[in-house]
Amino acid sequence: MRPSCIVKVGDYLQFKQLIKLILNNIFQNKGRTFLTTLGVIVGTATIFLVVAIGKGAESQVNEQYAQLNVGTIIVSAAQRGPAADPLTEEDATRFLESSNIDYAFPMLRGGGDINYENFSYQGSYSAIYPEFQTVNHLTVYEGRELVEEDETEHNRYAVLGYELANTLTDGNPAEIVGKNVTISRRKFEVIGVYERIGDSSSPMGYDDAALIPYSAAQRYLMGTRTNPTILAQAKDIDSVQSAIQDIQYILDETHRAGGSDQFRIMDAGSSLAAAQESARTLSLLLLSVAVVVLIVSGIGIMNVMFVTVKERTKEIGLLRAIGAKKNEVLSQFLIEAVLISLMGGIVGVIMGFCAMPLLDYFDLPYKASVNGVLLGVTFSTVTGVFFGFYPAWKASGLDPIEALRHE
Amino acid sequence: MIMTNTTKCTIETRNIDKIYQNGGEDLKVLDNINLKVYEGSFIAILGPSGSGKSTLMNILGCLDVPSRGEYYLDGINVLDANDNELAQIRNQNIGFVFQQFNLLPKMNAIQNVMLPLLYRGISEAECSQKAVDALNRLGLGDRLRHRPQQLSGGQQQRVAIARAIITNPNLVLADEPTGNLDSKSSQEVMKIFHELNRKGHTIVVITHDQEVAEEIGEIIYIRDGKLYEN
Repeated sequence: MRPSCIVKVGDYLQFKQLIKLILNNIFQNKGRTFLTTLGVIVGTATIFLVVAIGKGAESQVNEQYAQLNVGTIIVSAAQRGPAADPLTEEDATRFLESSNIDYAFPMLRGGGDINYENFSYQGSYSAIYPEFQTVNHLTVYEGRELVEEDETEHNRYAVLGYELANTLTDGNPAEIVGKNVTISRRKFEVIGVYERIGDSSSPMGYDDAALIPYSAAQRYLMGTRTNPTILAQAKDIDSVQSAIQDIQYILDETHRAGGSDQFRIMDAGSSLAAAQESARTLSLLLLSVAVVVLIVSGIGIMNVMFVTVKERTKEIGLLRAIGAKKNEVLSQFLIEAVLISLMGGIVGVIMGFCAMPLLDYFDLPYKASVNGVLLGVTFSTVTGVFFGFYPAWKASGLDPIEALRHE
Repeated sequence: MIMTNTTKCTIETRNIDKIYQNGGEDLKVLDNINLKVYEGSFIAILGPSGSGKSTLMNILGCLDVPSRGEYYLDGINVLDANDNELAQIRNQNIGFVFQQFNLLPKMNAIQNVMLPLLYRGISEAECSQKAVDALNRLGLGDRLRHRPQQLSGGQQQRVAIARAIITNPNLVLADEPTGNLDSKSSQEVMKIFHELNRKGHTIVVITHDQEVAEEIGEIIYIRDGKLYEN
C-alpha cells in the first residue's frame, strides 16, 4: 500500500506558530542577537546615509546649475592672470553675427570686501550687462534691477544677492536699498536686492554677490585692461554645438596670434552633465563601501547561525523525530536569519536618521530619501536570506539519528 | 513471532538487514529481522550494547531505513515513503520516549508537550489545551509552566511521555526510558506505560536492563543483530 493513501502530507506548522518559535529563540539569546545585528545595523545605516549624501551632492549640483540655462556657453581665457590677447566687448558683438547665438555679452568677476555701515563681508562682485539678468532668470526682491541706461551712464549702482544683503543688514535685506555700500573701497549705491536663488553654497552663486554695471566696473574698479569672460546664449539646446564652432571660428579670425586655443569654451549643459556624473560616481563609491560592510556583517550572521545550528543540533534531531519536515527546519533557521537582519536593517535606518545632525555638523549636504530607506532595508534582508540559507540548509539536512545523539 | 489475541499488526518487518560499510568491509548490524508486534501489546526488546538494538529502534521509529527487507507500520509500507511522508508518519503513528528525555530546555512543560501537534498545523489554543490535559493525566498538573531544569528526572520523563502520547499514536517507542532514573521514578514510569498499554497503545521498550524487561513480561532478545524469543 502506498503510504500516501494513509499519510496526508500537507499539514505544516502554522506560519504564526513558526514565527512565534523563532522569536522565542531570538529573544532567548538577546546578547548574541544584538551582537549579530550590530554589523547589519552599521551596514544599513551606512547605506542609508550614503544614499542621503549622494542625493545631497546631486541636488547641490542641480541647484548650482539651476540658474544656468543649458544653452549658456562660457568663453574665458584658458589661463589665469593678465592675458596678452584678452577677450573684448567687440568679440561679444561679433559672436552675435552667428545665427546660432541669441545673446552674447562680456562679464567680469572680482573679489573684495563689501562694507555696509559696520558690517563687512568678504564677497565677490560681477560686472554685467543687463541682459545677464534675463539669461540667468534673476528677478528683484526689492528695488529695481540694472537697466541699459545704467550701462551707458556708467552708473555706480549695485544690485545685491539676497544672502549678501541679508548678511550686511543683519536680517533685514530690504532696508539696504537706497543706501551706499563700498566694494573694494569704492562707493556704490544699492538700487535693488535680488530674490533668493538658493545657490549660496555654490562658488559661482549670485546669492552672495553684488552685481554692478560693466562700464562702471571698468571705470571705477578694474580699468580697461581686463580679461573678461563672455557669456553667450545659444538659440536652443540643439544649436549649442554649432554655436561653439561659430565662436571658435570667430576667435581664430580675430585673435590671430593664438587663435581659439588660448580660450576655454565651456557649455553649461556638458559641465552640468560632468558634475552630475562625478556626484553619481561619488555615490556609487560610497555605496560600494556600504555593500562591503553588509557583506562582512552577512558573514557574521552566517557564523552565528552555524554556531546556533551546532548548539541546537539535538533540538533539530528531536524536532525531526516528532515529525518536523526538512523544509520546516529550513524555514525556521532561514527566517530566523532574515528576521535578525531585518531588525538590524530597521534599527540601522533609525540610527541613520539619528546620525543626520552629525552630517550637519560637518557641513555635508544630504537628503534623506525613501529610496535610501528601501535600499538599506532590502539589502539587509537580502543579506539575511543569502547568508542564512547555507546554515539553514545544513540544519535541515542533518541526519536525525546523528542529531539526537549529539551532545 | 509474538502472538496475541488481536490480529492486527502494528509492526511487521520482513527479513530486514542493516549493513554498514566500514572501511570497505561490510558490517551486518541487523540480520534477517522478522518481527510482528500486534496492536495493543507491550513488549521489551532486550539486548546488550552493540547488539543492534539502537539500529532496530531507529528503523522501527522511521528515523533510518534498512538495507534490505520490508517494514509495515500500521499497515503502511514505510520503505515506500519519501522524507516528508516519513516525517508525517513519525508525527502521527509514533510517540518517542528517550533515555535523555530530550525536552527543549527553553520551553516549559506545556510548550514541550504541544510541539508535535504544532508541527501538525493545529492552532496554539487547541494544542495547549491538549497538552494541559495530557500533563494532568500524568500527574503534572502543578508543573505546567515549569521548565525542564526545574523538574526532577522522573517528572521530566513524564513530560516526555505526555509529548509522546499527545498525538494519540498507535505505537510508543521507548529507548531505555528508565536509564537515567532512580528506582522509584523508574517504577512510576513503568506504571504509566502499563496504563497507556491498557488504554490501547502498543508499547515497545528497548532496554539492556533485565529487570525492566522482566517487569514488562514479553521479551524479545537481540544479540549480534539477530532476534531470539528466548
